[in-house]
Amino acid sequence: MLVPQADTIQELAFRAKAGTGSSAKPSAIEREIIDLFEQFRNPLLRYVIAFGLSVHDGEEIIQEVFLALFRHLKAGKPERNLRGWIFRVAHNLALKQRLANRKAQTVLNFDEAEADRLPDQAADPEEQAASNQRLQRLQAVVRALPEQDRCCLYLRAEGLRYREIAATLGISLGAVSLGLARSLARMERATQG
Amino acid sequence: MLRKTFHLSDQDILLVLDGEASRIDANQARAHLSACWSCRSRLAALESTIGDFVSLHQRSLDPQLPVATGSLALLKARLAEAAAPPSSGSWRQFLQISPAHRTAAYICAVVFLGALGAAFLRQHSELRRPAVAEPSFAGATAIPNHKLTPGATRPVSIGDVCSMPHEEVVRDVPSSLRQQVFKEYGIVNPHPEDYEIDYLIAPGLGGTEDIHNLWPEPSNSAAWNAHVKDSLEERLHELVCDGELDLPTAQKAIASDWITAYKKYFGADKPGTSSKHYLSRNDSKVAETLALPLKAPA
Repeated sequence: MLVPQADTIQELAFRAKAGTGSSAKPSAIEREIIDLFEQFRNPLLRYVIAFGLSVHDGEEIIQEVFLALFRHLKAGKPERNLRGWIFRVAHNLALKQRLANRKAQTVLNFDEAEADRLPDQAADPEEQAASNQRLQRLQAVVRALPEQDRCCLYLRAEGLRYREIAATLGISLGAVSLGLARSLARMERATQG
Repeated sequence: MLRKTFHLSDQDILLVLDGEASRIDANQARAHLSACWSCRSRLAALESTIGDFVSLHQRSLDPQLPVATGSLALLKARLAEAAAPPSSGSWRQFLQISPAHRTAAYICAVVFLGALGAAFLRQHSELRRPAVAEPSFAGATAIPNHKLTPGATRPVSIGDVCSMPHEEVVRDVPSSLRQQVFKEYGIVNPHPEDYEIDYLIAPGLGGTEDIHNLWPEPSNSAAWNAHVKDSLEERLHELVCDGELDLPTAQKAIASDWITAYKKYFGADKPGTSSKHYLSRNDSKVAETLALPLKAPA
């Protein structure tokens, strides 16, 4: 994946803020891309970093996704179900990036990354301890799920419909439905202790 | 969908909760839930687990998310660059470059103009000769010649086909192969903008980069052009990956007569008239599909 140099990024961002990147007004497609970015950036970033990728990698993937979407729309390709399209491309890019990271042996260990992200909210100490214990059990179950089931859960949590999840992961609707039910049953057993 | 058992399964309850069950199944399930405390208790347990998971998912990941301002600014800049015409620089910028570079630029311009003039004279003299190779449109049709282009596939699984978005699978046909296809169809001196060397069975549906699967398709001249066929390929890919159509049927449909296949799978007699194709961005269905908030009428 092409990652611009830091000074290039700063230069581009500065020009964008200053409005000097291009004298032309944003086209309708550019405005549409920006609207979609504002709507889906956080759900997409949550989804891709759940693969164990760094936030930096996640941000780059999202840039790639929306540039690909720009090319897609500019080429007059169909505009049906853009949300599904966006998540599908992000999923594929996240898999590629994770593979590249593993090859470079710089992958962030998924378990460690998740453990580092446990909530640490101020509350009654006993209540917080019980809550954290339950969440830790839940997290352990989620980590142990087959990757396909875990992706189904993450995508559903981001609001995708079953057909969008099926298209993103290249599986059947039945597999989505079964995977979600199976995962929830496992999590429920775990939180009940 | 609902199992014929006394109680609802977790899968059935989840389908109802997620609004994914058919209307009939959902009505049956709701009737059962209103009468069955046991299944209502399962529903509550599932809802609680979903709540726990969503809470964990967001609370553990949200603190990691940086504010979007920087990445939004970067995207705007990249979009502006991607949208900008390839020409760069202005006369003012040109005048600001060093004298040495300016001299080099003048020399390049003179050489370029000389070459342009020579090309014009060569073309002018060729026009006086008897025509030997006029552009031919004789071989270009929306439906390929099935003797030359019967379609060719590779062994692929549904997983292979559906693991990538359709448009990512499509590659440009190499120039040498393009020339072979034009030659086979008897098209001489083709204008690039008039044709697209297209796959009859798209790579995204298991088609191969084989001369038997390629033909020169009119780009824009006809109603049934390459862009319309692209839409059909996307539609078939989606149907196959949604499990609503098997792959061999999709391959056969597009190879035998893609226009008939378009009419069948879009339910439209003309391109672009189906609700499944190029919906208006203001269409409420699109807003629903994209989960975009609809503005209330003023």
